[in-house]
Amino acid sequence: MRPRNFIIAFVAGAAIAVGLLFTLDLVGKKVVPVQATVLPAGNELPDFSLLNQDGDTIDRRIFEGQWDLVFFGFTHCPDVCPTTMAMLKQVRERLASQGQEPLPRIVLVSVDPERDTPEAIGKYVDYFGEGNLGITGDLTEIRKLTGDLGIYFAKIETDNDNYSVDHSSVVLVINPQGRFRALFSAPLSVDNFVHDLPLIIAMP
Amino acid sequence: MMRRLLLFAALFVIVSCGEPAGPPLVASKIVVTAPAPDMPMAAAYLEIANRSGEAIRVTGVTSPQYSSVEMHETTIDDGIARMRKIAALDIADGETVIFERGGKHLMLMRPNGTPNIVTLNFYSGELLLLSVSAEFTATAN
Repeated sequence: MRPRNFIIAFVAGAAIAVGLLFTLDLVGKKVVPVQATVLPAGNELPDFSLLNQDGDTIDRRIFEGQWDLVFFGFTHCPDVCPTTMAMLKQVRERLASQGQEPLPRIVLVSVDPERDTPEAIGKYVDYFGEGNLGITGDLTEIRKLTGDLGIYFAKIETDNDNYSVDHSSVVLVINPQGRFRALFSAPLSVDNFVHDLPLIIAMP
Repeated sequence: MMRRLLLFAALFVIVSCGEPAGPPLVASKIVVTAPAPDMPMAAAYLEIANRSGEAIRVTGVTSPQYSSVEMHETTIDDGIARMRKIAALDIADGETVIFERGGKHLMLMRPNGTPNIVTLNFYSGELLLLSVSAEFTATAN
């Protein structure tokens, strides 16, 4: 190989290596989010007036001061909602075990306020760990929040005097400034949350 | 007694019309998730393998511990989770149907008392195909 070609090959190889170092750490783990969609500036939340599990009136300021993982579901949901809440509980436990600070709070916003009283959603979120937040309230106010965030839900009548609710399965990440910062879409995975959340929390 | 007769009849019918070496329907990986506090419903998951030698149609599931049991399927399309009832479930010979979180599941509604163990009876019409029992698993774990 001629010296000039050698230099070109060396520079090209070094550039590739540097590029890899920026995207991979020494054990080959990616240092960019593998699943989350990150909103660079974060979107402001809309105005709303809802209730927490204690029956206190809350507005968008409830999302300020901590990182939040926000899921939209309902307490009479037998499959997706408890599975997602249990997953988020595991995520918090895994993050805590690896020393992550701050830990995100888990928030369930009801898409079934007809059945989800503050007391009901309170018992439900408490079942999945301490410090969780349950939000319910007037349907119109819930739609102010969901509509702005692109969250879909619709009541579906069933054949046994019961009903279900179709709903978005995403988990939103709200930053301590109360801005919608990132989004996890199905299929959700504990590993992906545990990988991505510290990166999102550390982002400027 | 009637249930036992039905079970015997079901097994006899299924075994007699196929060439299975073992039980015609085999259930495994049974998990019944406990209801959240004050919630009237639980969910159950399992795998059912059809080794009967012919196709089987499950038309209903009952439980002595719950007033109603329905086969449901959750689908997530375009990010929307939808849960729909499965009226009848066909299991081809040799096929294993998987009930799992976020997919097919059994929805158990309105418990009779406070059960610790749940029995699930799978029927094809009046024919009892399979009966399984399991303790609750904590939903939050």
